[in-house]
Amino acid sequence: MRNRSILAVAEHAQGRVKPSGYEVIACALRLESFRQLRVLVVLIGDQPEAPAREIFQRTGLDVIAVQTPGLASYNGEAHRAILTDLIAELDPACLCAAHSSQGADFAPGLAARVGAACITAVERISVDSDCVIFARGASGGKLVAELAATTRLAVITVQPGAFSADVDRRYPQGSIEFRTVNFEPHRSRALGFKPGATCDKGLSEARVIVAAGRGIGKQENLSLVQDLAAAFPRSAIGGSRPVCDMGWLEYKSQIGLTGATVSPQLYIACGISGSAQHVAGIRDAGFVVAINSDPNAAIFNVADLCIVEDLTTFIPTFLAELHRASETPTSKENGR
Amino acid sequence: MKLLACVKPVVDLETMSGPHYLGSGASSGGTTCYRINHFDEFALEEGLRIKEAFPGTTLDVITVAPQSAGSALTRGLGMGADRAIHILLEQEGYVSPSVVARLIARRVEGSGYDLILAGVMSEDDMHAQVGPMIAELLSMPVATAVLHQTPIDEGRAVYVEREIEGGEREVLELLLPAVLTVQTGINRPRYPSLSKCLRAKKELPETIHAAAQPAIAPTETLLRVTEPRKLRAGLRLEGAAEEKAASLLAILREKALIPEARHAQP
Repeated sequence: MRNRSILAVAEHAQGRVKPSGYEVIACALRLESFRQLRVLVVLIGDQPEAPAREIFQRTGLDVIAVQTPGLASYNGEAHRAILTDLIAELDPACLCAAHSSQGADFAPGLAARVGAACITAVERISVDSDCVIFARGASGGKLVAELAATTRLAVITVQPGAFSADVDRRYPQGSIEFRTVNFEPHRSRALGFKPGATCDKGLSEARVIVAAGRGIGKQENLSLVQDLAAAFPRSAIGGSRPVCDMGWLEYKSQIGLTGATVSPQLYIACGISGSAQHVAGIRDAGFVVAINSDPNAAIFNVADLCIVEDLTTFIPTFLAELHRASETPTSKENGR
Repeated sequence: MKLLACVKPVVDLETMSGPHYLGSGASSGGTTCYRINHFDEFALEEGLRIKEAFPGTTLDVITVAPQSAGSALTRGLGMGADRAIHILLEQEGYVSPSVVARLIARRVEGSGYDLILAGVMSEDDMHAQVGPMIAELLSMPVATAVLHQTPIDEGRAVYVEREIEGGEREVLELLLPAVLTVQTGINRPRYPSLSKCLRAKKELPETIHAAAQPAIAPTETLLRVTEPRKLRAGLRLEGAAEEKAASLLAILREKALIPEARHAQP
């Protein structure tokens, strides 16, 4: 009997595979390592040839490139229809897509259509006595829920950054199959794109970022965050999504998946809960300090240094300590 | 137009302790306090704004929840929804989003809703599945993570801007009936009015007993809930606030992340 397949739906843009595409492939390869399965990469779009060759050359995996003439950008109706047909034809054990604006949009409906389980934002996969377990964040990252599909097919979306995009070449015998599907969306029409708020340049160049979350309590407390930032040269102020939603900071200061991705040497999270969407934006930060009054805040799981304190009193205390320390001559200065 | 907002009651984490909560309120004993899912408040508010802009529009609010979580409907009515529908679950605990979507789709099918609104996800389970699944089950188009919408073409279609990566927006038009899942920041949800809340408490919602319906098999099972892994050192500073401040300063100095002394800087 032929091994069942894992379909890895990789996103691409401007002829290149997106990093999320390789993360999805990495997740599919992880599944493959548990079972006698074979990974098949699926690309959908009006010009899938270049990304199909890129994946073929880099991984050697089998690729199905579905060309959809006239559909320049993502269309949920088209994705669901094309993938439904592929599922009917190939009977895969799993379909993996990115937990992105595309994957999160088409995966639940696709699963409902084909009667599959849908498990979104998967961060880890393990096997326990023949059962594949999908671990995913819940309650704003405070908890991890472990789920298992009870259906023949599982449709999963892969949390950005959870699997390494470093996929090595391991299958020299792969092939690329080109197909063309003419799909006319019936009930939706794409009208293009609008740019979002331009990310604050200061954030990408800052050596130190002090960021405010909902836990700062009120807008007036932003001045504390500003005072703290002022203690560091080349510093900038950022914020989590809720703070921007409430209008306390502009969206250009938002850090996270839908805002800026930053990599300062020092990141100080003030009253930030630590949702996956925010944490994805600070993965490359050097040293992370978190100040939060909630001892169970998820941000503490991604911090190097955890301070359980009310930041409205702790920041002034820290600044007073800093002031005191810089007034007192250090031994080095005594020697001058 | 006829609108529907889907709301989920979530366990108020502030009132719970320990990692024993998830889903529609698997409580660790005692009374579970529920409040409306923050994301759904934005969906409700968006529905109310359409209702105010288009005379003759009605907005219903629906939930799939145990009896103890019915307060989410009261809040919806208090904000200004017209009617409440409660699909009543016998028990608290995890419910698969595929079951929730099927229960809602079953009730909604043939009811003539033009637009179904839901939050982009729930705060507790964070599946982000119920909205797009309802759309699929009712053969309606869907847009997820919506940041702006306007009904157009005399209520036959809706203009939508949805959030994509990096804060960019994808613009599209959907024919009605359609489903939109709403992203936070689209509006500022209003507070419920006292008089509407008082009236809502007197009016009983339309109640459908899920247990009396043909059973829907869940597509996945929740095996367990655990604590997240630590991805960084996670050293906890101890002591009084002053001691923590001194430790923080010492560590930042040691790592040369803060200048030695302010006057030493050029």
